[in-house]
Amino acid sequence: MTVYESDLPGVGKKHEVELGDGSRLVIVTHNSGKREVFRRASADSDSEKLFELTDKLARQVGTLLEGAYFQPVQTESIETLLGGDTLIEWVEVGADSEIAGKTLGESDLRQATGASVIAIERGDEVVTSPGGDAMVEAGDTLVVIGPKAACRDFTALVKGT
Amino acid sequence: MAAALLEFGYLFVVLAVVGAVALRLGLSVIPLYVVGGVVAGPYVAGRFGLPYVPNGEIVTILAELGIVLLLFFLGLEFSLDRLRSSGAKIGRAGVIDLAVNLPIGVAIGLVLGWSPVEALLLGGIVYISSSAIVTKTLIDLGWIADPESEPILGTLVFEDLAIAVYLAVVTSLVLGGDGGVAAIGRSLAIAFGFLGLLFVAVQYGTPLFARVLDVENQEAFVLRALAVVVPISGAALALGVSEAVAAFFVGMGFSTSGHRERLEHQLVSVRDVFAAVFFFWIGLGTDPTLLAAAAVPLAIAVVVSTPSKILSGYLGGRAYDLSAHRSLRVGVGMVPRGEFSLVIAALAAAGTTPVMREIIPAFAVGYVFVMSALGTVLMQRSDLVERLVFRGGAADGETSTESA
Repeated sequence: MTVYESDLPGVGKKHEVELGDGSRLVIVTHNSGKREVFRRASADSDSEKLFELTDKLARQVGTLLEGAYFQPVQTESIETLLGGDTLIEWVEVGADSEIAGKTLGESDLRQATGASVIAIERGDEVVTSPGGDAMVEAGDTLVVIGPKAACRDFTALVKGT
Repeated sequence: MAAALLEFGYLFVVLAVVGAVALRLGLSVIPLYVVGGVVAGPYVAGRFGLPYVPNGEIVTILAELGIVLLLFFLGLEFSLDRLRSSGAKIGRAGVIDLAVNLPIGVAIGLVLGWSPVEALLLGGIVYISSSAIVTKTLIDLGWIADPESEPILGTLVFEDLAIAVYLAVVTSLVLGGDGGVAAIGRSLAIAFGFLGLLFVAVQYGTPLFARVLDVENQEAFVLRALAVVVPISGAALALGVSEAVAAFFVGMGFSTSGHRERLEHQLVSVRDVFAAVFFFWIGLGTDPTLLAAAAVPLAIAVVVSTPSKILSGYLGGRAYDLSAHRSLRVGVGMVPRGEFSLVIAALAAAGTTPVMREIIPAFAVGYVFVMSALGTVLMQRSDLVERLVFRGGAADGETSTESA
């Protein structure tokens, strides 16, 4: 992401953020604290004012955008709905989980819950379509697919108490 | 005492009313404050036997405080480092602006048969754009978010520096009187000696400024700031040196003290009150019948200096590598003249010749009135200006904004 900063003497500062489609978001921060937010569709067009915020409001909206209140990307609760009742879910293996230190075949989770492991994430490494001999360790993230209820059972079992 | 208080009450009522009118109509307040002063002053209300605000000593002193605070704020916002860091581009745009517009104003004065000092005063009035009106209009129209705002604001910063040097020189020329070359030389030497020392003091005095302002209490903070800037400006004026430039330098000194934002925040309403009194006071001293005498220079100046500002701004925009279309807007954006032209007029009014005392102030009032309105309208209807200049065709391979 490229941010262009420029001084506006007597007014404040201007930041421009490239949005990727050729347009730019322009944020003018006044010395008074007021923020004005514009969008410029292309380099040649005129900026269109979207909204303005007081200093206080801007900070509050900013923390929302930053994800301080709700983090959509959270290792423990990422889930993607495939349609119908089927989910893909990411589940972290707790330190005291009973499947830690066992292979997938040994714990036989598919039989127990109805959800299948489609990948194991370990740090930067990903084991896709793991076989029954794939080892699961504490700290791994298992990517599972299955009906909602199965995923819930799976999560309860894997996380440990 | 009671009469004076009542006069001040009258003054503030007029300012409040015209301020409300300006706000309602979306106009700049500066020319309307001046008009308020003209109408409520001795030359209009006084002549018709209505109650009026006399152009007394107290109003003059408060107006003087307005000048000091206007320039103090300019200094606060001004930063040599900023000028240096974006250096080349601001420098080029600023020099073009100065080299085009100041000589044109001076030339108009000389053609009218005025003395060199009188012509130089006219040059300054015509040269300097209004930071207040231009900046406000940029924000109102949303141009602030577009690339043209950078050369416009950059050129205004350059003008701030240019006007400081200009006022230092011209104050000495005007107040030095007609004592010949030796007297002028002496007053220039005093000016540059005093301002030079002050400049060095504020460059190295940052820790001192910071300590003076290091106080929690709001009231003490405001009073301390005024206790520095007002006496220094007063001392400057007592020596025949520009009080405005002294205030500008003190502002520069404060700007690096770490208290800049708090100063702006706490002092802005104080400045606005005294600046409004200053604009009103300018109106008080303006005899509308003198506008007739100033009509010829006024007409010439409007006709010549509007296109010259557009041209210099256009070239300045090009120096910032902007397209022809945006560069033209830079030119249009520089047209409004305002507070600093009036500061120069106030200086001229302290002069010795009839042209300085009467014609130039009347000229400046008329000129600011026309240029502030014309400039704002041109900015609002910049699409028409673009169509006129580019003849509806394409400039730089991009079409101008023709929506109709």
